[in-house]
Amino acid sequence: MAIYVHAFRHVAEAMKLPRVVVTRHPIGRALGAPGDIERQREVLSRAFQLLQNANAGASLVELDGPYRTARGI
Amino acid sequence: MRMAALDAWYSLAEADWRSTFRLGWGIGKDCCWLMSEMSESFEEFKDSFSYGSRSDLAFKFLKRLDEEQAAAFLLELLHRLGDAVDDGSAESLVQLVYEFQARAYSGPSGQRAPEFQDAPFAPLLRPLKQARLGLVTSTGHFVEGDDPQPFGVESMTQEEATRRILDFLRSAAQLSVIPSGTPSDGLRVRHGGYDIRGAQKDPNVVFPLDRLREFAAEGAFGSLAERAYSFVGATSHLRLVRETGPSWVERFKQDQLDAVLLVPA
Repeated sequence: MAIYVHAFRHVAEAMKLPRVVVTRHPIGRALGAPGDIERQREVLSRAFQLLQNANAGASLVELDGPYRTARGI
Repeated sequence: MRMAALDAWYSLAEADWRSTFRLGWGIGKDCCWLMSEMSESFEEFKDSFSYGSRSDLAFKFLKRLDEEQAAAFLLELLHRLGDAVDDGSAESLVQLVYEFQARAYSGPSGQRAPEFQDAPFAPLLRPLKQARLGLVTSTGHFVEGDDPQPFGVESMTQEEATRRILDFLRSAAQLSVIPSGTPSDGLRVRHGGYDIRGAQKDPNVVFPLDRLREFAAEGAFGSLAERAYSFVGATSHLRLVRETGPSWVERFKQDQLDAVLLVPA
């Protein structure tokens, strides 16, 4: 299972990776903003679901929700 | 507001041209070459953020935009910055960067990838709650005190890694082994291909070892492998496919993993 930012979704699709979670985050922050534990856990939870439930290669889901900047980091 | 930002941009461009002209004129006609040395096209300006005189990995995507798109990005950035002066919110600025990054890398001048016809699939052979998971990233992480020392350089800085990006792209990747118990403040990151500032503040943005430890402790999956791995993804992909990758797979097999989380930089 792999986690890609949206800018490189087409790369994951071209390579037909088995299981991919795509996030609408800036490059270099695939799981979320620094300190945004809630979002980081949400992304990982979705990856675990895909790991369990996918039944064919090139399974890709794109997470809704924008990148949230976290304060106090 | 949008027109105000446009006006400001044109005024700035005009002021730059005037100061360049006056400097050249003041030096005299025998030094007219200096004017041409100092003048810079907009294309050169936007491209300079990608390993050029204004190198900034957060904005190297500007080089992949055409001039019209890059100008539209800068105008809108200034416009939203004007709003941020009053509302203090950076959200719309970040959203704009995200949108133009996506446009730059998925557009005609964007990142290309090898096309594969088949879609390999390996089913998870045991329930997630019994599965052993590993972490492999191409984000350039390593443990403090265990620097991979690329090209034999001790304590290479991020700036040097950025300057030597072509050396990295020609060389075989080095795999850093990271014990899964490593605390966040024991991790270091260096990668000349992407903006590492987020990863420096919190490794979990691309190397989610803390989060995986938490999930393992909560019983979301069976166990976390004893070792995680990271390398600099800006590397010779030919060597990665033919040499280093296959040898790494043998190592990963020894860890008896049921699944691996991959995070590209």
